[in-house]
Amino acid sequence: MQRSKAAVSVEVKQVIGALCRLLAATGLESVPAPENFRRAKFGGGLEVEEQFWQLLTDILQTSGIVSREARAQLGGEHRALVAAGLWQTGYHADWMYGQGGGKGGEGGRFSSKDLLLALGWLLATGKLEKLLTQRIQQLDKTLLLTPTPVNPQLPNEFQLDLASLRKLQWLIGSLRYQGRTLLSMQEERTCLLHAVFFASLPSSVSSTSSDQGSTLLRKDCACMQQLCDLLEAYLKWKQVETVFWTWMDSVVDCHLTDPVFKKPTHAPNGSARVCHHGNRGLEKLENMLLRLPTGQKGQRRVREAPEDRGEGLLQCRSDTSCLPPLLSSFPCPPSCPQVYRARLQTERPCRHSSHPAHEARGQADTPDEFAASQAAQPLLHTEALLLERRDRQRLANRMQLQDMIGRLDELVLIPP
Amino acid sequence: MSIVTVQLGQCGNQVGHALFDVLCSDAQEGQRKVFSSSSCERFFHQTAHGDLVARAVLIDMEPKAINQSISRAAKSGKWRYGETSHFSQKQGSGNNWANGYCVHGPRHRERVEELLRREVERCDRLAGLMAIMSVAGGTGSGVGTYVTECLRDVYPKSFILNHLTWPYRTGEVIVQNYNSVLTLAHLYQLSDAILVHENDTVHRICSQLLNIKQISFGDVNSVIAHQLGGILQPALTADSCGVYSRNPLGELVSCLTCHPEYKLLSVSTIPQMPSSSMAYSTFSWPSLLKHLRQMLISNTKMEEGIDWQVRPPAGAERTRTLTGPSFNTSLANLLILRGKDVYSAETGQRTDLRTPNVAFEDPALFTSWLSSEDAVNVWKTPVPFNKYEKCATLVSNSQALLRPLDNMVGKAWNMFASRAYIHQYLKFGISEEDFLDSFTSLEQVISSYNQLR
Repeated sequence: MQRSKAAVSVEVKQVIGALCRLLAATGLESVPAPENFRRAKFGGGLEVEEQFWQLLTDILQTSGIVSREARAQLGGEHRALVAAGLWQTGYHADWMYGQGGGKGGEGGRFSSKDLLLALGWLLATGKLEKLLTQRIQQLDKTLLLTPTPVNPQLPNEFQLDLASLRKLQWLIGSLRYQGRTLLSMQEERTCLLHAVFFASLPSSVSSTSSDQGSTLLRKDCACMQQLCDLLEAYLKWKQVETVFWTWMDSVVDCHLTDPVFKKPTHAPNGSARVCHHGNRGLEKLENMLLRLPTGQKGQRRVREAPEDRGEGLLQCRSDTSCLPPLLSSFPCPPSCPQVYRARLQTERPCRHSSHPAHEARGQADTPDEFAASQAAQPLLHTEALLLERRDRQRLANRMQLQDMIGRLDELVLIPP
Repeated sequence: MSIVTVQLGQCGNQVGHALFDVLCSDAQEGQRKVFSSSSCERFFHQTAHGDLVARAVLIDMEPKAINQSISRAAKSGKWRYGETSHFSQKQGSGNNWANGYCVHGPRHRERVEELLRREVERCDRLAGLMAIMSVAGGTGSGVGTYVTECLRDVYPKSFILNHLTWPYRTGEVIVQNYNSVLTLAHLYQLSDAILVHENDTVHRICSQLLNIKQISFGDVNSVIAHQLGGILQPALTADSCGVYSRNPLGELVSCLTCHPEYKLLSVSTIPQMPSSSMAYSTFSWPSLLKHLRQMLISNTKMEEGIDWQVRPPAGAERTRTLTGPSFNTSLANLLILRGKDVYSAETGQRTDLRTPNVAFEDPALFTSWLSSEDAVNVWKTPVPFNKYEKCATLVSNSQALLRPLDNMVGKAWNMFASRAYIHQYLKFGISEEDFLDSFTSLEQVISSYNQLR
């Protein structure tokens, strides 16, 4: 952010150009021209938007986030598809939940900037590297793509005793020897191939077999060329990537200063989380919180779902269903979300996904927020229930133990 | 596929020479083009003039043995050693392992590696390296260990087989047990398989089977060479589809020494007799195999004096580990049959009690944790070997070497306990801890082999 704007504007076009070349090299069909990135930043109109819709669709589909079946289900409507795909990658924005995926039907809140931000998100979450890996695997035929299927299931009679261990060590040794043999065979083959090529180099033979060979070779050669181009593009991109992100920051800033965004018109059943771009400190804090306990992850996912409450309930039920039978007969604790994320109250118009820690001022109208004072009651109740459950379990265990002891006739246990 | 042989020390150079002599004369015997060319490719390369040159590097700290081997090979007129593929010095290692390992080895490392590299680069494909040496003296054991270490460093993916000659129990050198313990302990970490010939056994073969009255080292070496040749000459493996194996060392170690704790291989060959009696003897495969099998289970290294009372334990006995000490349990065996009617030789389960028991695949012969299908391999070739009409060689990874090893380690330990001659070793730069480490690792080997039953 500290870079001077002038320096950025000089470089940025080249940098975006590098990105476009890289995207094209990864095999994406519709990559917008670098100029269109700039146009998209300032709301480039339907034509530009269309290009970015297509790009996002391509990325999501090629990297396997959205399956072909899903596309077929959605009837080729790539706006819904992109929204679904982005949602799966953890991205959230208001326009994704509007009717028709932000066709501009919601008071023009949606703009091509949103698509740029979404693209930024995908790049930042490593989708580019995923595409790159896939493409390399397609091009480089010498990579072992399909490892020999090994049956990971151990035989039923397998026991980890000394004999099995020794047998296992024997088999590992055997594999090691096989590996060495294969390596030496490969070395020999390489030598022979080299000899053959060397011998056939001066004489330009034109028999059919050599033609066939050379077509294959040409294909391989083309693949190698593409591979080199791809890796080169990636290298170039990596060198200048920071400039792109600086530019992306400017897109974010531009997005936030957009007056349209400030209208706090949300559908009440809308998303639970909103992309906050305003207060950087807050965003940072939120990110840190997100990274904290992994236990919250599932909870977050549930809360991110459009049908927030319903799924929360479902999850709770399925939790109890996998308890041991004895336990599950006990009353279930209340179906409130078990994990809360503390969050400071701010005056910003956008909503929060959790309750403020220190004040009870009217935020309770949003369904998944609790003020601390409100939350205390159900939590206390839950605690009481859990304690009761623990005591009953203890009692049951004790009975079971006594039963077992009773069955051991010859054993006399003297209590301490 | 070629094997590069490294001949180390006096013993290694003599045994190596005898081996190449056997291999060459056997390959050139009779009209068998495929066999002969396969054998020659393995062990020799041909010069522009058609001379066979052994793929070998000769290393010794004294020039005598090397010069002898080179001149005798040249005199044979059939093959010779490479003109520059030898390295010798004026001063020997004085029967001191530490002198060879810590002083001579490192000092000449570059030149030795250069020789080895040249020899390896002559091969279209390196099938592996075989180091031949004794464990008693200084150069074979000490320099040999050091050179094996270099080989492992430079060719980490190649198969390395060490052929060791174990000294007479009564002793040629006072510190032979120290040298043996240090060599074996180090080689166990480096080598893929350690093939052992005991001088005592070979000596008995010379006196009792070959009826030699005054046994020289030459006689002992030719017996060793005969047995080694029986293993290393081309043969057809079960899945080689009629083509001689191109990966002999790899297949050898894959059959026998996949487990890192069990690397000691012993060899027995049948029949062995003076060449004068060969014309009057006939052999049948069942009787040869029956004898060989009993030699295996009773741990008799030669045909004479087999204890026929030893039987493999029955199932119930086995679990209670009541097997007598005389029964020799195997981990894995490789049977190599050469000669006439070899395809009629049966080595599977015994089906008819009236026939001789030749069941090498009997699970009772083996340790419980490796199935007999994995543990037995048979290589065959109808080409007779070294003038014997029929010849069976058994390479066995079994308890056969347990007792001599235990004996060797025990004697060395007794000497070490009184610190006898230790200063001779310490002055070359190894420590008492090195000795202790070696003892420990060999005790582990002994215990592993003990647990085979």
